[in-house]
Amino acid sequence: MVELRGVRHRYDGRLVLDLEHFAVPAGAMLAVVGHNGAGKSTLLRLLALLEAPTEGSVVWNGARVPRRPPTALRRRVTLVEQRPVLLRGTVLENIGFGLRVRGIGRADAYKRTAEVAEQLGLLSLLERRRTELSDGEVQRVAVARALAVRPDVLLLDEPASSADRAAAGAMYRALAHERAERKAPPLTICIASHQLEDAYRWADDIRALADGRLSPVTPENLFRVELTPAGTDTMSARVGAIDLLVTTDRAGSAVLAVPPGDIFVSREPLSSSARNVLKGRVTRVAAHRAGGGGGGVAVTADVGIELIAIVTAEACRELALAPGTPVVFSFKASAVRVF
Amino acid sequence: MEFLREGFRRALALLLSGDAEVFGIALLTLKIAVVATVIACGVGLPLGYLLATRRFWGRRAALTAVNTALAFPTVVVGLLLFGLLSRRGPLGGLGWLYTWQAIVVGDVLLALPIAAALSAAAVQGVDARVRRTAETLGAGRWLTAWTVAREARFALAAVITAAFGQVVAEIGAAMMLGGNIRGSTRTLTTAVALYTAQGDFGLAVALGLVLIAIALIVNVTLQVLQGKGGG
Repeated sequence: MVELRGVRHRYDGRLVLDLEHFAVPAGAMLAVVGHNGAGKSTLLRLLALLEAPTEGSVVWNGARVPRRPPTALRRRVTLVEQRPVLLRGTVLENIGFGLRVRGIGRADAYKRTAEVAEQLGLLSLLERRRTELSDGEVQRVAVARALAVRPDVLLLDEPASSADRAAAGAMYRALAHERAERKAPPLTICIASHQLEDAYRWADDIRALADGRLSPVTPENLFRVELTPAGTDTMSARVGAIDLLVTTDRAGSAVLAVPPGDIFVSREPLSSSARNVLKGRVTRVAAHRAGGGGGGVAVTADVGIELIAIVTAEACRELALAPGTPVVFSFKASAVRVF
Repeated sequence: MEFLREGFRRALALLLSGDAEVFGIALLTLKIAVVATVIACGVGLPLGYLLATRRFWGRRAALTAVNTALAFPTVVVGLLLFGLLSRRGPLGGLGWLYTWQAIVVGDVLLALPIAAALSAAAVQGVDARVRRTAETLGAGRWLTAWTVAREARFALAAVITAAFGQVVAEIGAAMMLGGNIRGSTRTLTTAVALYTAQGDFGLAVALGLVLIAIALIVNVTLQVLQGKGGG
């Protein structure tokens, strides 16, 4: 659908995005995760055709997008910013803005506006102005405003950051409804988030961004799995060549996260309550960046799947962990988070 | 002090009796100011928007030039245009020297930098997300500009008022290009200067009061608008 090729984007000479290839396939529900400042918002602005990359190109359905994209092309993609602003006027006028600029008649525009307003629980707010709304309400209006124009690609930057749980749920349901309704072309959605739960619950593909680059391993050992019953209160999840045991009452498709701090690292298998004991070899040892969950050492190991564990510097020295060292990763079935 | 009091008494009498000369001069001044403001803002506001929003080569230099032009001495502009418009000048064929059109040209040149520089600042004061929002919702170039302008409407109204204030109170270009010809190019400022020099103090004060009244209305409007824009 939309791709970035060989993109290097700079602000005042500082490299903020460096992506050899980044593609959002048609009909995908893609989540981009990463810490604040990882380049997520910049990535979305490039995909939204609001900025042209300093180097490289944006490709739309196989065709290279010119530096000043034609309005007709820009109208097929819509971005909801992290902290959206409402334009002057009422909520009704805001939701109808994109329809008006497309020359859609008053009656049709009103019908569509009411439709998306209802989906997002905004019907009672239609006559309000921006000063009379909470942050969460502004965010929902912004999502409604973007959905109203039926874009081919919808880009959402931290869409649930100011919404309460119920409002976030309503928003994701509205997105799902819109996606189900659309046949050709399908609605493609790309969500940037640093809150894992929201994005993962709904996304069917996950990319991690760190320091403007695609990170080969998602920051928190994330896996998309099918859960199958394995005991009274546990589920089994096949990841690559291995099976993980997980405590959950969920079944079917889910996303698992193994918190790196909850993994015990040892040289020999331990006799413990940990139900997941995985043997493998260390592939990488690196200082763990503060801000990403404290200090310490990030130990990456290939235990049939690639996993990262965070240990203290002393533990790392005592166990003499280095690339190639045999290692055992253990964690409880209840430590695995299910989204 | 006696002649001052006498001046004010005569001024009031002239104003209250609806003196044709006073009103003719005031009307001409308003006509010139309105035409010059419309032209200067018609060009200056879009120019300011472009300076504030487009990233092009030489943008910084253009902004500096416009800001420098804000402080351009009015007599220098008058002198420059005098050279251009005089019979032997490149634009002499127009026959505009010593007409009200010549004053308009001078005033436009003086008000244009005000309109451009202040509207650039006004547009830069608008949250960048407003423009991106309009663009991402599918607005073309003009609708995007209109959306941004709506957000800056109080500041932009203040820009227009400031340009009008500059033009209506200006004397250098009016004197040099208009020539202060009675009944055709005599404006409030040039008339005040002339009648004061001639010793007709009452008439000068009367015209001065009209000018002050216009300036007062303009400035009160400006302050009201700026107050709203801040709130």
